[in-house]
Amino acid sequence: MSGPHEEALKGFIEQFNSEHENITVEPMNQGSYDDLEQKIMAAAKAKTLPTLAQAVTNVVPEYIGNDFIAPLNDFIEDPEIGLSEEELADYVDVFQQSSSWDGTFYSLPFSKSTRVLYYNSGILEEHNLEVPETWADIRNISETVTADGVVGMGFENSYESEFQAILKQLGGTYIDEASNEATFASQEGMEAMTMIKDMIDEGIARTAGEDDYMSNPFGIGDVAMYIGSSAGIPHVASAAEGNIEWSTTTFPTLDGEAATTFAGNDIVMFNQAEEAEQKAAWEFMKFLTSPEVTADWSMQSGYLPVRYSAQELPEYQSFVEENPAYAAGSQQFDAGFFIARVQGGDAVRNIILEEMELILLDEKSVEQGLTDAQERANEALQK
Amino acid sequence: MMDKPTWKSTLRAFLYLLPALLILIVFNIYPIIKSFLMSLYTDYDFYNDVVYEYGLSNFSDIFQDPNFIKAIVNTTVFVIGVVPVSIVLSLAIAIMLNSKIKALSFFRTIYFLPFVTSVVAVAIVWGWIFHSDYGLLNYFLGFFGIDPIEWLTDPTYSMPALIILSVWKGLGFNIIIFLAGLQNINKQYYLAAQVDGASAWHRFLSVTIPLLSPTMFFISIISIINAFKVFDEIFALFNGRPGPANSTLTVVYYVYQKFYEEWEFGLASAAAFVLFIIVFLFTLIQLSLGKKFVHYQ
Repeated sequence: MSGPHEEALKGFIEQFNSEHENITVEPMNQGSYDDLEQKIMAAAKAKTLPTLAQAVTNVVPEYIGNDFIAPLNDFIEDPEIGLSEEELADYVDVFQQSSSWDGTFYSLPFSKSTRVLYYNSGILEEHNLEVPETWADIRNISETVTADGVVGMGFENSYESEFQAILKQLGGTYIDEASNEATFASQEGMEAMTMIKDMIDEGIARTAGEDDYMSNPFGIGDVAMYIGSSAGIPHVASAAEGNIEWSTTTFPTLDGEAATTFAGNDIVMFNQAEEAEQKAAWEFMKFLTSPEVTADWSMQSGYLPVRYSAQELPEYQSFVEENPAYAAGSQQFDAGFFIARVQGGDAVRNIILEEMELILLDEKSVEQGLTDAQERANEALQK
Repeated sequence: MMDKPTWKSTLRAFLYLLPALLILIVFNIYPIIKSFLMSLYTDYDFYNDVVYEYGLSNFSDIFQDPNFIKAIVNTTVFVIGVVPVSIVLSLAIAIMLNSKIKALSFFRTIYFLPFVTSVVAVAIVWGWIFHSDYGLLNYFLGFFGIDPIEWLTDPTYSMPALIILSVWKGLGFNIIIFLAGLQNINKQYYLAAQVDGASAWHRFLSVTIPLLSPTMFFISIISIINAFKVFDEIFALFNGRPGPANSTLTVVYYVYQKFYEEWEFGLASAAAFVLFIIVFLFTLIQLSLGKKFVHYQ
C-alpha cells in the first residue's frame, strides 16, 4: 500500500490510536501484495511475524496449513469484545463465507473487489445500443461496434475469473473445496472456454496481452467494453480522462443466471503474538471493518464496503451518486462467489493460465487444454 | 618476492581475508549448503524446521516436469542468444570508443547508461518499444515492409525480444571492461606490427585478440554465469508472467514460481541446485579451455 491508499490507512490508524489509550498500532508499508506475501513467508520462517497483516484470500489456506494464523471465533463470540449477532450479520454474506472455513473465521474482509463490466458510453450511444446485461448482449454489441481500430470486448490477462463465472452460470464447478478436486474440464467448462475463445477468434474480443491491463486500451477507446476488477476504477478513470465517456455495470448474466467472483484482501492475525497483542489486534480489526471506516476506505481506495450498513451511510450514498461507476460492485453481492480456497491454489492458477494461453494460441484444442489443465491441477492439489 | 609460509604469515593472511570470507560464508556458502539439504526434503515442515523424511524424489519430480525441461531449454537458448552477440558487439564498440573521436566521454557515458538504469525502468521502456500496435520497433520495421510483429504476445518472438533487451542492457558493463583491457595493451606492439607491414585486420587478429584474451576470458565467464541466472528482465518485461505460453520460462523463474507462488520449497531448492551444477560445470570447462587459449602478458 502506497500513495493515496497509504495516506488513507495512516489516517485510520491515527484515529484508532487516539481513541485507544492502551493500544498503539504501528503501520509498516510492505510494497505490493506480492512483496507482502513474500515478506510474510520470510517473517514466518524467522519467527518475526507482525500481529496483523493483510493477506490475499487465496493465500490464507497456506497460512492455515502452515499454522501461522489464529482463528478468530473466540474473539468474535466473546460477549464483551466480540461482535453481536446483528453486527456479524452486517458483514456482507459473500465476505463472511470467504473468511470462514467450516464455521471457523480465520480472517475479516478488508480490501475486497469484484468483477464488473466497463463500457464506453460514447460508442454505445453512437450505435443506439443499450447497456449490456447478458452475454448475448455482449456478443451483439461486439459484433456491431467492432471496426477498424476498435474491438468490441476485452478480457484481462487473468480472465480465468471470467471463465469461472461463466462456468458457474452454466452450472459447473471450478474446484470443489470439500473434496479438493478440480472439475473444470466438464461439458460446462468446455462451453465456457469456447464462448470466450470464439469471440477472440472472430476478432470481436481481445485480451489485454502486452498492455498488461485493459484499463489503457479501454481508456483510449480501442476497446468498447471489458470485464475487470472493480478495484481498477481509479486506473480506468485516469486512463479515460479527456478521451472517452464511460461507466460500469454488473457482470453479464447467462440464461438468467448471475454469478461473479469476489476477491481481494483480508486481514489476518498471526498466532506468534502474545495474548494482549492479539486482543489489541482484534480491536483494530473490528475498527477497520466498522461501517464508517469501511465506507471511508471504500470511497478513498475504490475497494468495496464490507458491511451492508456502510452502504446506507449518507456520505457513501452521495459518493455513489457522484461516482456511479462505483455502484455496480455492491449491486451484485447476492450473485457473488469466490475462487475455491485451497492449498496449492496459486499452483493451479499458474497451470490454468498456461493451458488457456495454449488454447488461445491454437496449440491445443479447448478439450485437450482443459483436460490437461485439470489433470495437472489435481496432481498439484493432491500433494 | 615470496617468503616461505609460516604459521604467523598464514594467520595474518587469514585475518585479512576474514571480512570478505565472513560475508561469503553467510550469504553464499551457507545458503548453497542449506539449499542442497532442502532439495533433499521430501516430507517436512518448512516453518518449524522439522524434516520427517529425506530423499531424492524432488530431483526425479522436476526432471519429470515438462516445465522444468522447458526452462532448461529456454535458458540454454537465452545463453546462446545473448553471450556471443553481446561479446562481439561490445568488443566492436569498445574498439571504436578506444580510437580518437570527438565527444568520447559523452559516448562512453551513453553506452554505460543502460547498465546503471534499473531493470524495471528499462523493461517498461522496452515494453513500449516492442508494442505491436504502437511500438517504435514495428514502426521502423514497417519502413522495410515488414508486418507488425507481436513481440511480447507471440511465443515465437518473445525470446528474441528478451534477448534484444538483455544484450542492450549488458553492453555497457562489457564495454567498460574491454576498454580497460584495450588500454592496457602496450602501443609498441602495434608500432612494431606496423613496421613489419601488418594490415589493420592483421594487427587486430595477431596483437589485439591475443593480448585481450584475459579480458575476453573474464567477460565470457561472467556473461555466461549472468545469462544462466536471468530473471528480473523476464519478470518486468512480461509483467510477472514467464512470457506467452511459458516461452521465456527460465530455470530461475521456475525456482521463483515453485518457491514463492506454489510454496514448494523442496522442488525449488532442487531446481536451484541443478542450476548451480550446470553453471559450475560450464565454469570448469571454461577454466580448462582458458588455460589453453589465454595469454597473459
